[in-house]
Formats: sequence, structure tokens, C-alpha cells
Amino acid sequence: MSNPDDPRASDPQDPEELRFHFTPSDEPKPEQETDNPHAKATTRVPEVIEALRDEFGAAVLNVERYANEDTVYVEKRQIRPICRFLKEDEGFTYFVDLGGIDNFTEEDRYEVFYNLVSPERQKRIRLKIRVDEEDMRVPSVVEVYRAANWNEREAYDMFGFEFVDHPDPRRMYMPEDFEYHPLRKEFPQLGVPGSLPLPPQTPDGELTMDPFAAAHGSKPVKSYEEPATDSDSE
Amino acid sequence: MAQPQKPDFPGHDLGDQFRFWPKHNEKIYERLESKHAWLEEKQAAAQGDGEPPVTQKSELDPLENEMILNIGPQHPATHGVLRCVVKLDGETIEKSVLDIGYLHRGIEKLAEHKTYQEFMPYTDRMDYLSPYSNNVAWCLAVEKLAGIEVPERAQWIRMIMSELARISSHCLWLGVGMMDAGAVSGFVWTFQEREEIYSIMDEVAGARFTVSHSRIGGVSTDFSPRAIEMIRDFVDTFPDRIKGWEGLLNKNRIWIERNKGVGRVTKEEALELGLTGPNLRGSGVPYDIRRFEPYLKYDEVDFTIPVREEGDCLARYFLRLDEMKQSVRIIEQCLDRMTEGPIRADDAKEAYPSKDEVYYSMEGMIHDFMYTDVGTVPPKGAHSYHAIESPKGELGFYLTSDGTGRPWRVRINAPSFTNLQAMEYMMEGSLVADTVVIIGSIDPVMGEADK
Repeated sequence: MSNPDDPRASDPQDPEELRFHFTPSDEPKPEQETDNPHAKATTRVPEVIEALRDEFGAAVLNVERYANEDTVYVEKRQIRPICRFLKEDEGFTYFVDLGGIDNFTEEDRYEVFYNLVSPERQKRIRLKIRVDEEDMRVPSVVEVYRAANWNEREAYDMFGFEFVDHPDPRRMYMPEDFEYHPLRKEFPQLGVPGSLPLPPQTPDGELTMDPFAAAHGSKPVKSYEEPATDSDSE
Repeated sequence: MAQPQKPDFPGHDLGDQFRFWPKHNEKIYERLESKHAWLEEKQAAAQGDGEPPVTQKSELDPLENEMILNIGPQHPATHGVLRCVVKLDGETIEKSVLDIGYLHRGIEKLAEHKTYQEFMPYTDRMDYLSPYSNNVAWCLAVEKLAGIEVPERAQWIRMIMSELARISSHCLWLGVGMMDAGAVSGFVWTFQEREEIYSIMDEVAGARFTVSHSRIGGVSTDFSPRAIEMIRDFVDTFPDRIKGWEGLLNKNRIWIERNKGVGRVTKEEALELGLTGPNLRGSGVPYDIRRFEPYLKYDEVDFTIPVREEGDCLARYFLRLDEMKQSVRIIEQCLDRMTEGPIRADDAKEAYPSKDEVYYSMEGMIHDFMYTDVGTVPPKGAHSYHAIESPKGELGFYLTSDGTGRPWRVRINAPSFTNLQAMEYMMEGSLVADTVVIIGSIDPVMGEADK
């Protein structure tokens, strides 16, 4: 086993292969969740889900529960009014987190989750929307939750979602000159050689195109000169 | 393999010279210009040919006061590699844009290629000022995902060590904060206390800095009698040290005037900007995960959550000092109430076997091998979020499992990231000299913000 990260890749020149395909299944049974020792009371929000169903009807797709946490899947187009409703009518004034998930499936490949908290009601809710690869547009919630600004930029940077009406659509971590979205499953762990040139490793050397040259099958540049080895001396 | 070409940036004839990320910098400056442009300027520009009229142009900046300044990324006051691009009018900051990502290592991606236990040392390198809290946060998140119960003694040990980590992190914040305001000697005093905590970490975990002591399903080693003695000594002497610092700072005119009214955030703004941790509580929002969603044994010990209403740097200073006192209280109660017992779950699928078992029994060795190779396997399709109150704020992990030993997706909700976002807003309208104090009081750690 030369490469412990991917035992099937015998030839490093081969394109990286994905070993696991995610199929959401095994919906947890109701009696399972009570025995999770870390379950919290704050993450059960049946009243809020009822209110959402009354207000938005079919836009609330389904509800999942695991470890006492309610996840509400909602329609992508309705995410902004739903967030506004939660903030103004249900007291979820505090925005905690937003991020993407790449499920690597044919349909509805991506998911975006929203983690919202109501400090007065002591409740936490998770919303999820499904995003298809064909249409990466997601309505931005920055005008509802200002704190979502950087999180949406990060999600765009890492997955390539196009947040409609985002006030500042720049990358968060990677430089603008980079053209990939690294948290997508097809992006190799060691990066794409040449996509992110780094400074030369010797004072008068070439730019470092591939920081993991050895893993990609070529000789890495050394920042020092190795002493000449004399094979006869031993 | 073909010889790679030099990067070609369209529209930029750089010749032989290579500059890093011209597009990136261009976008930052564009953003700085377009950020809340004044309405009058826009209207005047719309009437003419897009340019503001000549008369107004000279009025805009007749004395040439305006200037764009890059603070960081390499600057001691930015506490790491934070780059602030600010537009100054004289000494006042008109607009500010933060550029982060200089320490981006992609640990969310790395986590997808590691077993749950293998990823734990990476969390040390996130908030490297309080590694133990990160270890605990990760382990609790995995334990929630896989439904693993942790023995009671391990929970007490984790609590004591996370509170020590909180004190250690706040000590650094205070020392560096004092140094930012010009008091260099304070840095040495707070680092003396950090040094003692390092020695405790060394005694407990065998490492001073990046401890990696917590394990999924428990902790790696039990406290030695010497460790308990050291912790008791520390909590006995530490309140006196805080008193000493308070004596130095509470009536110090320079300290008060550098901090009071600087970087003020109201309660509504704090919620809207998504501040977390001491910064949020400094603005009057009593949101602390230890109360909101009690984990470990925080619902069984007696402590208060300090909250301040003022929302400026001084409030955050008082609040963090109070937090350290509360941490001492928590540690004392934990030491008194700690029970004897196992320190790791007794199940080969949930936690590592003890070293005795590994060395002296066949089954132990097999279990150790299997746990290293496969590790904990949460059910397929499971996803859960677990947060702890780290010294910087809410540190949460949202994990998705695909039914293998490696996480399908790890989402890290890093408190420094959320706090920095609000800092961009706080800096606008303040003086250049105050940015240093504001950065210090927000207490960002770039290792965590950049992931």
C-alpha cells in the first residue's frame, strides 16, 4: 500500500477515485434518539416547524431528526422569506452558521444548511436546502441576517454556490486568481498542480507550481544542495 | 511531465516579475471603494458623465487627507496573519476591508480523509492558544454523532482542563492586550501564569502546547497525584494574581482611556453582526453554550455567566477577568466532586483500549489495531452539530457521516471567524491607533479563523 489515503490508487497518475458514495438512508427511528447521551433539549423545535408549515405550506419539504436535532428541509426559492419569518415572527434573531455539503449524487448534489438560534426561546433550528449541480444559484440571506455575509462568501469559495444578491461576492480564503472550489468531492486532496503558484524554493529558482511534487510522481525542488555522494567510498 | 508555464494574468504585463494574486488585490481595493459609497457622491456622478464635477472633486479631499493603508498581514498587532486594508481620512478609518486566508490549510478537506481519531491533533492547531478546548469540542461532536457515552471521571477531567485552557487563553489575551496598549511588563506577568498552566498540561498530557489529550470516548491518561496537586496550587494562587493585575489596570488612566468607548457595539448590533463568546456577552447578550446547551457536567456545578452592557473594549476586559475567576470556581468544584472510575468507554468500537490491555492481551492488541485502522463508525446518513463554549466563543462541529470510519463532511463553526466579520464594522469610524486595541479585545486567532 503505497498511498494510505487511497489504497486503490496504485498509479499516482490515475485520476483520484472516490471510494464512498453517499446515499442518505436509514432514517433514525423515534426510539433511537432518546438514548443519545449528548442530546440537547434546545434542538427540538416542533412548534416552530408547525408555524413554518402553516405559513409556507409545501415549501417545507420534510423534517429529519437525529440525536434529538430537528433538520427542516425547505424549498430553495423560499429560503429568504423563511429566514425572515423565523427572524421576525419566531425570534430566531441570532445567526450562527451556514455552510455547504457536497453529497456527490446525481440529483440535488449540494446542500446548504443554516444554523439559527433564538436566545429568548432557548432554541436552535437547522434549515437545509438542496441545490442541484445544474443551477448553483442560491438566494442570499445577507439582507435578513447580516452575519451570513462571510459564511456565504466561504461557501461560494469552497463549493461554488452563486449567492444571488450578495453584496460582496468575493472568495473568502483562496485568492481571486484561483479557479477551483476545493471542498467539492472531485477536487484532489493534494490540490491541482499549477493552480496556485508559490514562491521559488531557491533564491534564483523557478516558481513552485506543485508543493506536493513527490506525491505526483516528480522530483521535488530542494532548497539546499545535497553533498555529492561517492559510491566507491563505502 | 510538461514544464509548467509561468502564470499568465490577463491585463497585467508583469514581465519577469511575479506578483502574488493581482486579481485578488484589485478586488479588495474595488471593494474598499464601493463599500457604502456616499449617496451624494453617487447622485452627483449620475448627473454628469460619471465623474464627480470638478468643483466637488476638490472639495472631496482638498487637503489630500485620504490615504489607503495596509495593516498586516505580518504585523505583531494583528495577532497573526490578519490583513486590514483601511481607507483613512486623516487619522480616522472611513472604510475597512479585512482579508483573511493567509493561514488557510483546508482542514475541513483534510478531515474527510482521516478517521475521527486521526483528525483530533489537527484541532490543536486551530485555536492554538487553548488546544484542550478544541480537543474536547471535537471529541464531543464525534461522540454525539456516534452516540458514545463518556465515563464520569473523564468528563470531570475534560472540564478541569478546558477551564484551564480558558484561563490560559485569557492570560494571553490580557498580556498581549496590555502590550498593544503600551504596557510591556504585563505580558511577562501573564505569561508566567501561562507557563504554570503549560507545566500542568505537561504533567497531565505529556505535552505542553499541542496537548491532544482527549480521546473519543474519554481521555488518554488519568490525572497523576502530582497533577492534582499542581492544579490545586494553581487555583489557590491564581485569584491573587488576578487581583494584582486588577490593581495595575483598573485605576490606570492610560489603560482606561485607551479602552473606554473604543469599539463599541450595542446589544442589537452584536446579535446582528453575529459576535460570539465574551464579545457578545460584553454587549449584554447572556448567550453562553455552557448554559444554553450544557455539555459535560456544566449543569451540575455552580458558576455565573458574567455579562456587561457597555459593549466597548473596557467591558470586554472586565468580562474576561470575571470569566477567569469563574473558571477558578468551576475547577475547584470539579476537583472536589471528581469521582474515581474508568477514564475511557469500555467498548472496542467506541474508544481505544488501555495500554495495559494492548501490551498484555491479544484482544487488546487487535482492538487497538482496529480502532486505529477503522475507528468509530457512526450510522450512515447521521448528521449532528455539537458546540462548546471555547475561550473565544461558540466552537461547533457539524459532522455528516456516510457510515464509514471517516467523516463525509466536517463543518467547523469557528468563533474567531465570526468575530472578525464584526470587527470590520467596528473598525469603521475609529482611529488608527485604536485598531490595535480593538483587535486585541476581539481576541481573534488566525489559525481558527482561517481553518
